[in-house]
Amino acid sequence: MKKLAQHVNELFKEVPESEKKEMVMQEVLQNLEEKVWDLMEQGKEEEDAINKAIVDFGDIGDLKEELGVSEDSSATQARRNKLMNRKLNLGYSIWGSLLIIGLLVFINFYYSPGVIWFVYPTFAVLWWPLSMYYSWLRVKKG
Amino acid sequence: MIRSDIIRGHLDSIILRLIMEKDRYGYEISKEISERTDQRFQIKEATLYAVFQRLEKKELIQSYYGSESKGGKRKYYRITTLGKAYFKETVEEWKEIKDIVDIFMEGFD
Repeated sequence: MKKLAQHVNELFKEVPESEKKEMVMQEVLQNLEEKVWDLMEQGKEEEDAINKAIVDFGDIGDLKEELGVSEDSSATQARRNKLMNRKLNLGYSIWGSLLIIGLLVFINFYYSPGVIWFVYPTFAVLWWPLSMYYSWLRVKKG
Repeated sequence: MIRSDIIRGHLDSIILRLIMEKDRYGYEISKEISERTDQRFQIKEATLYAVFQRLEKKELIQSYYGSESKGGKRKYYRITTLGKAYFKETVEEWKEIKDIVDIFMEGFD
């Protein structure tokens, strides 16, 4: 019966925590257990009865929708997370490249103030935040 | 076995009818549907609980906890006055639909 409880927990993991969710989960589990006992009374092994109850249960897409989770909202959440991640990468690349360029400028003016060479590696370093910027923009525009 | 998408639009009425006869709990309803249809239609439990949620939201049914059974307290459903009126309406609607569809389906082998 532990397998049934695990299955029910897995089914409802995307549903936000609420009293209603707990009540539905409890109801589902109780009815599934009753079905398993029924199947066992009809001569099925416990393992087979549990598997049959799980397979017969079906897809909970509709139930999730009734409980306030839609396919749409989970896709939106995933997109939001991705965008957040790209934004973080962009910020990191901007600060990173500023530090590198700053270091190059310092070395340039401290050791060889007569020759302005820091511009060349600066171009190479700028590809980093630039690529991160376009990567962020691509996700933002969807 | 009947394709569930065809019968889907009538699940609310089927469940209301069963609850109208007497207060029932989830597994009892799914068993009753299978038995009455000679196993030709078996409702998926996931669909059944979605229907309960929908009907409760529309205040067509109410739930309450019954006495202790094997796995804990069973949750029973009872039909409300609004539910009875709604069911009556759907019965009339069904007769109408049946008449219309019969015009095109009957007499063809």
